[in-house]
Amino acid sequence: MKHLKPVNQKADALSKAATDNQVDEVIAMQSVAGCTATTDPGWEIDAFGSVTSLCQPMESDLYGCADPCWWPAQVPDMMNTYPDWNKDAPSAGENWRNLGDVFPKSKD
Amino acid sequence: MKITRLLPWVIGAATAVASLLPIQASAEADAEQIVRNSCLSCHTDEGSSALPQSKGQKSAPQWSRISHQRKTPEGWLMSIARMQVMHGLIISDNDRRTLVKYLADRQGLAPEETTGFRYAMERRLNTQESFESEEFTQICARCHSGARVALQRRPASEWEHLVHFHLGQWPTIEYQAMGRDRDWLGSALNSMVPQLAKQFPLESKVWSDWQSAQKPSLAGSWRFAGSAAGRGDVEGSMSITGSDEKGYQLELMGSYADGTAFKGRGQGIVYTGYEWRANLNIAGVAMRQVFAASKDGSRLEGRMFEALHDEVGMDISALKDTGVTNQILTVQPSYIKAGETQKLTIVGNNLKGKLSLGQDIQISKVLEKGKNKILVEVRADTKAKLGGRSVTVGKSKGGDLQVYDRIASIQVVPNFSVARVGGNGGSTPKVTSAFQAEAWAPGLDGKAGTDDDLRIGFIPASWHVEPFDEAAKADKDTRFAGTMDATRGVFSPALAGPNPDRRMSTNNAGNLKVVAKLTDGDTTLQAEGQLIVTVQRWNNPPLP
Repeated sequence: MKHLKPVNQKADALSKAATDNQVDEVIAMQSVAGCTATTDPGWEIDAFGSVTSLCQPMESDLYGCADPCWWPAQVPDMMNTYPDWNKDAPSAGENWRNLGDVFPKSKD
Repeated sequence: MKITRLLPWVIGAATAVASLLPIQASAEADAEQIVRNSCLSCHTDEGSSALPQSKGQKSAPQWSRISHQRKTPEGWLMSIARMQVMHGLIISDNDRRTLVKYLADRQGLAPEETTGFRYAMERRLNTQESFESEEFTQICARCHSGARVALQRRPASEWEHLVHFHLGQWPTIEYQAMGRDRDWLGSALNSMVPQLAKQFPLESKVWSDWQSAQKPSLAGSWRFAGSAAGRGDVEGSMSITGSDEKGYQLELMGSYADGTAFKGRGQGIVYTGYEWRANLNIAGVAMRQVFAASKDGSRLEGRMFEALHDEVGMDISALKDTGVTNQILTVQPSYIKAGETQKLTIVGNNLKGKLSLGQDIQISKVLEKGKNKILVEVRADTKAKLGGRSVTVGKSKGGDLQVYDRIASIQVVPNFSVARVGGNGGSTPKVTSAFQAEAWAPGLDGKAGTDDDLRIGFIPASWHVEPFDEAAKADKDTRFAGTMDATRGVFSPALAGPNPDRRMSTNNAGNLKVVAKLTDGDTTLQAEGQLIVTVQRWNNPPLP
């Protein structure tokens, strides 16, 4: 890592946190039932336990992460399980309203 | 590749047959036929039974994979739903319900086996999970709740199948954080599987004991009481009629502490002899009950919540009217300040005897004396002995009343919460967050923050939010992320979607400090919690 330089604010923040050993402590906090602790990048929470360093707006990068199943328990993965999830939403930024939830309606 | 398991005429015939039969009349035979029709094109018939069977069940058909696992009703529902989503199974909602009932009854969890993990079934999604095994947290509970795993029972071979399935279905598992730093598959197979097989084994004494235990009917009259974040105490009555074979009907009447009445009706199912689930309609709102019955069938404990907004709900305890006099369920509120006069409600069944609230508490007025509810105005002596005392009616004890002299500290509950943006034409509703202020007295040593501090209960407070940190301040999170109801402590998040008014059109996410304030005598107390307002989720199964 010593030969790599952060090129933006988020990378700088991550680099400093890694140096100070803060990242692991924050990840350990994020154990709210049903939220993902995968924070590289995160879905609910970033690596600092905040939302500032999430991909925002999430619609800008949604498919880049949903396709490779980054948070499959929260966001339908399109690699294997829900390949047609975005068939009515070619642009997440413009068509996000057409993205449906995926569990069958009946909860019995 | 998707495979259609049933020809349309088979589905039509099965549905028609199901609709002609009396409900549950031949549910077992129906379920086994549904398995043969719908599942055995992939699963294999293994012939005889492997699991210990309930009384009266000499043998049972056994199928590959299916017969080697035990789960909650929600767990079985998720497994069948996964077959629909991932393997092209076509099954009607009715047939799926029949299967869930059949499987949860025969291969469920004993009451003891759900202890500590009921929050997942009860949709308490702000529960912060903590497990002794760091490896379990990192391998299993990194993506979904640990409870989803802990509410299953499998032999090692079945846990192994689950590991392989996960890696095949979601291969990036190996190169995410906490995946790429280890031999993920090796750790999962060689370390996690033995742990899981030992901690959550297919066969257990508590399960075989529960299988052979008598399962009392839950039909009868019930008194319930509880607490709803944002609304305060609730109490009421519930009538359950019907049977396990025919299904249960439910009628409910209740009221909030402010006197607002509510009533509803619906249908219930009992799984595994004690898992009560009901869908009901209260004033046009679809609600769901997830309760566990005590082994003797005299109590129900759990949560009732809105079907669409499962974060909105109430904790419920219910006591069956068994004809015994003076059954006390609870006292509302459960605290009184020394030197003060206030109203108290005693909730129970067949309350006929003399009411006593313990040392130093005087009843100044009886406002209502009903069979199932006593409403009194009481005064606590100025120098009343501090601490808890039992309430008695006749010779029966029940319900605790705490006497305190001052509030020494308050806490925000939950102290960490997640709300989600929603609505705005999208498919996911907003997920709100409700907070309560928990008051503590200093205890006998007069000092706050020591071991003898006395929990008083939830006390009304005023609420607001602030930026959690500098970044939240710079991004104006308090302006964009939503609004806090100053009286109820309920935070309503803002709309989903990119917001062009925000920097880089970011979502209405935010990192907020939740502040509760209240005044006790001359003292103003304040407590803080954290609220993450984040983006929506589209994968929302019954177990998080």
